[in-house]
Amino acid sequence: MTYGGPGRRSRIVVRMGILLLACLSHLAGPPAAAAEPKVLRFAFRSVETGFDPQRVDDVYSSAVCSEIFESLLEFDYFARPVRLVPGVAESVPAPEDGGRAYTFRLKPGIYFADDPAFGGKRRELTAADAAYAIKRLRDPRNRAPYSWLFQNNLPGLDELHDEALKTGKFDYDRSIPGIEVVDRYTLRLRLKDPDYTFLYRFALPQTSPVAREVIAAYGEDTMSHPVGTGAFRLAEWTRRQKIVLVKNPDYRGRVVDTTFADLSLPAHRRVVEELQGKTLPQLDRVEIYPIDQEQPRFLAFMSGAHDLIQELPLSFVAEAVPQGRLAPALEAAGVRLQQVVDASVWYAQFNMDDPVVGGYAAERVALRRALIQAFDRGLAIEVLEKGQALPPYGPIPPGLVGYDPTLVSDQQDYDPARAIALLDLYGWVDADGDGWRDQPGGAPLKIDYMFSVGGLGRQYAALWERSLRRIGVRLEARSVQFSDQLRDRKAGKYMLSAAAWTADWPDGQNFLALLYGPNAPDLNDSRFRLPEYDRLYEQALLLPDSPERDRLYREMTRLMLVYAPWRMLAFRNWTYLSYPWVLGYMKHPMYQTRLLYLDLDPAARRRAQAD
Amino acid sequence: MGAYLARRLWQIIPTLAGVILLVFILFNWVGGDPALVLAGKVPDPAQIENIRRQLGVDQPWWIQLWIFVQQVFTFDFGRSWSTNQLVSEVLLTRIGPTLTVMVPILLLETLLAVTLALLVAYLRGSLTDRAVMFLTTVAMSISFLVYIIVFQWLLGFKLAWFPVQGWSDDLWTNLTRYAPLPVLLGVLVSVAPSLRLYRSFFLDEIGQDYVRTARAKGLTENRVMLRHVLRNAMIPILTYVGIGLPGLFVGSFLLEIFFSIPGLGREVIESVNRSDFPVIKAITVYLAMLTMLVNLLVDVLYRVADPRVSFK
Repeated sequence: MTYGGPGRRSRIVVRMGILLLACLSHLAGPPAAAAEPKVLRFAFRSVETGFDPQRVDDVYSSAVCSEIFESLLEFDYFARPVRLVPGVAESVPAPEDGGRAYTFRLKPGIYFADDPAFGGKRRELTAADAAYAIKRLRDPRNRAPYSWLFQNNLPGLDELHDEALKTGKFDYDRSIPGIEVVDRYTLRLRLKDPDYTFLYRFALPQTSPVAREVIAAYGEDTMSHPVGTGAFRLAEWTRRQKIVLVKNPDYRGRVVDTTFADLSLPAHRRVVEELQGKTLPQLDRVEIYPIDQEQPRFLAFMSGAHDLIQELPLSFVAEAVPQGRLAPALEAAGVRLQQVVDASVWYAQFNMDDPVVGGYAAERVALRRALIQAFDRGLAIEVLEKGQALPPYGPIPPGLVGYDPTLVSDQQDYDPARAIALLDLYGWVDADGDGWRDQPGGAPLKIDYMFSVGGLGRQYAALWERSLRRIGVRLEARSVQFSDQLRDRKAGKYMLSAAAWTADWPDGQNFLALLYGPNAPDLNDSRFRLPEYDRLYEQALLLPDSPERDRLYREMTRLMLVYAPWRMLAFRNWTYLSYPWVLGYMKHPMYQTRLLYLDLDPAARRRAQAD
Repeated sequence: MGAYLARRLWQIIPTLAGVILLVFILFNWVGGDPALVLAGKVPDPAQIENIRRQLGVDQPWWIQLWIFVQQVFTFDFGRSWSTNQLVSEVLLTRIGPTLTVMVPILLLETLLAVTLALLVAYLRGSLTDRAVMFLTTVAMSISFLVYIIVFQWLLGFKLAWFPVQGWSDDLWTNLTRYAPLPVLLGVLVSVAPSLRLYRSFFLDEIGQDYVRTARAKGLTENRVMLRHVLRNAMIPILTYVGIGLPGLFVGSFLLEIFFSIPGLGREVIESVNRSDFPVIKAITVYLAMLTMLVNLLVDVLYRVADPRVSFK
């Protein structure tokens, strides 16, 4: 007979253990609730087209691509003027051979998001993927709107493109002198001519590496199957209605780099405090709603359905930000205000080949200057732009490399008396007594102004008409479809046309190129051709960012002001609002969104909405 | 009836040919060049030519027309020029949201307008009749856009009775949460003109001899109005409703863009903005076909409403 035994003892031990665990768990309180997912909701103010980085060019599709894909380089979140920093490349390559070659070394261990196209294996990003993306931009089948990024600069690539146009097949496997995949992680690019702004191309989502097998697997449906290495992946897409991004589980994560943060600025200090020590991305899910109507977009934010609003509609500025300050109700709700000058310029351009308004003779320049000074820009900014714009004195917007804050010129100021004097002086007078000025030879003078329907086009046309009538010049406004406006501008069938340009990269060169003679008429559709300007532009291309290059930019701007091919109208100053539970939000001049750096406090949102 | 149907269906063919020709001329000669829109910020002539070739717009016009005819009869309009999605897929995903809003609008509007019109026709000349006529005149004088802007702000934002905008993948959620405000606005706007029109139909019937005879026979007013007047007025009402039926499939683009409803109306606007001709052509041609078929259906329904109608 035994009293107890190993079996009984072990049962007692187990029971005591269970009891102990139960006590401990009771002491520890109820089981911890699963962390509440961080879901950010906001709207785009226009619709997207798709998410194949090499096939899109609109702002909002590109913005989503920037979240899903990673480019070799990127723009630092804090640095102003904007500055290039490494993306998936280990460093920003130094120019070699006087700006004729660049070598990218990719970080090893970066993986694409999982996708059936990879057959269940993890797929590492390699230099071949970066080379493939560059070639895709020049494959005619892709109709890549950013094909021009690599046009006439990488030896051998244009030849591949031209062959593909003839044969219908782009030879991706043929090696060319301009693109060399040195090893698994090294890509060397050689240029035909020196170019110190070349690297900016590699911060655009359009040059983001893509996996060839994914493109092959989805064929014509690559717009809806983006597979990148970025912090987010596309979870759901209802075209022009809803875009849902979720955190990419394969993303390696990163911490905020504060190297270029200026802690004397409250916005930088706040962002650093909100993101310090966190592994990014913090958001679990992002829901984006393209809403092109102003009222629903504004009300969605005001009702709290959306956490932030980008580019506050002009018609609601007076309600939300009267006199440039937050409305009391919004201030009480802790809403944060940011006003950021857009990296774009709005202008009206003269056709320099036009026999009446074009040309470089003194009387033609006088006419253009008179028309420029007759247009009431201050009124346009105050009334049409609701005060949400700055008057430009040069073509380079603030915050970009080459912007000169000291530049002030009276050449673009509103001065109708001076305009009248100029016209009188150079013989643009009313010769036939009909009340309208005529050309110096006596032929009637009538300015044809072309604008595209939509937006503020009609109001600007009316203001042009009214402004010129005041100096006795007749203007006829012609409203056309956007595509017709493009066609007529490229074909030179206009006298004066509305125009705008948004920066592709944050360097003044991107704007000054619009007036470089050899770029006419494709890029330079005002057809401005001035040998002195062209010479300065070519000199600037050979220089890295430096005081000497800034001097050349200033000199080009001065020539532009003197010969007056543009009436510069506005640098748009957009307002961005966000609720206090959105953390880390700081509008970047070049990125539409930078979701990687955003965080959200769902508990704060819940509390605010309960109140 | 079979012969009548065959004849009417046969007549659809020349009408459809006319529609195809008109749409083709409009888009090819009046519309802008899509290649310029798709070529990006810095287009070069070779790229524009390449895009034209890919889209087929560099072909002679008779070949483009033949391709268009083939597309109509194979129901295959290819891919959207702006998003590269299949046009059929675009249309199929858009039709549901449009119908989710437009069918309730049509049903409620018809029911309300017929009921109220019958009532005010019966009370012709009374204060109620005059008040309703005054209100409908005021309602018709205000733009639909104003209704949307005011009620979205008032009912959606200020009073928070409805969501300001939105849409879901779930039909029930849409019907109970997102569609009620657009439907309410759609009904508010469309009921006034219908009510006035139907009232005139009813008044025409009330003045007829058979109504006087029915009353002389001692029939109750309910029976006179509901059995005789309503039934006889149904033919013009059916015609009016029938004319509006194809509109169900296009929806109200204003409602769709203001309430973020991913329907066909919004799609048409976005496609026009982007010169996305395959989508616009598909919607235009199918809508024309639908209009013709609905007209035929309405003609057939006349006989159901009034057995005296015969098909010849």
